Amino acid sequence: MKVLVVYAHPDSASFNHAVLDEVLAGLQSARHEVRVRDLYAEGFEPRLSREEKRAHLSPPESKPQLAEHFADLRWCDALVLVHPTWWGAQPAMLKGWIDRVWARGVAWELPDGAKRLKPILHNVRRIVTFTTHGSPWRINALQGVPGRRIANRSLRVICHPLCRTRWIAMYGIDASTPDQRARHLRRVRRVASRL
Amino acid sequence: MKVLVIHAHPDDQSFSHTLLAATVDGLQRGGHDTTVIDLCAIDYPGALSADEWRAYESDSPVSDPIVAEHIALVREAEALVFVYPTWWSSVPAVMKAWLERTMVKGLAFDLDPRTRAIVPGLTHIRHLIGVTTYGSPWWYVKLVNDNGRRTITRTLRLSTGGKASTTWLALYALDGLHESDRSNFVEHVRATMKDLS
Repeated sequence: MKVLVVYAHPDSASFNHAVLDEVLAGLQSARHEVRVRDLYAEGFEPRLSREEKRAHLSPPESKPQLAEHFADLRWCDALVLVHPTWWGAQPAMLKGWIDRVWARGVAWELPDGAKRLKPILHNVRRIVTFTTHGSPWRINALQGVPGRRIANRSLRVICHPLCRTRWIAMYGIDASTPDQRARHLRRVRRVASRL
Repeated sequence: MKVLVIHAHPDDQSFSHTLLAATVDGLQRGGHDTTVIDLCAIDYPGALSADEWRAYESDSPVSDPIVAEHIALVREAEALVFVYPTWWSSVPAVMKAWLERTMVKGLAFDLDPRTRAIVPGLTHIRHLIGVTTYGSPWWYVKLVNDNGRRTITRTLRLSTGGKASTTWLALYALDGLHESDRSNFVEHVRATMKDLS
């Protein structure tokens, strides 16, 4: 399978980076074809500019600055997101990747007179998120888990009609023990190797 | 009442700017002491930096003077108003970045020194208000779960100790609307802000 891994964490010494390493090791062991986008490392600009907003309905060819990201998104069979959950959702860096790269002609069309987007990202059949939450599960439940719904609903409906989603999360990381973290990393590798 | 308005839209000719103007006008007519943070106008960064992340759990999580200034504004405010277009069911990245950078330990929450439990820090905030537009119709917004609204009225509200009242002013299916629908909504926003108490 062709797998696009999009990673958003500013610190390469973070636990999330260890999660990324396990994801890549797991994918490699299953011989998937993998592309990785480390948004912080490549200095991705998460802000949709005025020009891009005005070109909202323009074809992808009019945005050469995003051509590689467009190509990756169209190429993959599976999208794997690796990130911490901050304020209930994806970091701004990753939200910006969604705001800018899930563009007209890549992810959706808006036919004349249509009231909502027409999904066209039919190549994506899996969305798998690996994330960490600082707080315990019950706090996240109270918060309404907006990040999970952004990935598993808002993005999901644009993809293949039978696209499957998974949310592999470690909760309460702030109060976790080394043992719990090691166990989570083993789980991450197992899930990635069975994608 | 002291009200802090946070706005995010990159195009100063946008409908979102019209909504911002109506929000501010309504608040001022209601006699509220209003401050605006217009994120795109001040070229606000779109992400939390590596240094900021490393400092996040320390006792001095703030290094950028603009963040310190915004923290002081939130401390004084009794109401927070978020004005933005909903993209991918949530807030634009730059507004998410504002939450990540501003709502740090010492402002949005503290950790109990004994139990390490989270103590809400925004208990002085009485109102959380959203003013937003959706490209999609109402039913579709509900289907994908309206995650910007959740971020503000649930995630952020927990930091008020669950005490803040919430108000959501939304215009759905924006692209297919008549000019009169838009202007009615603008007046609705203005009147709601004026009557805020």
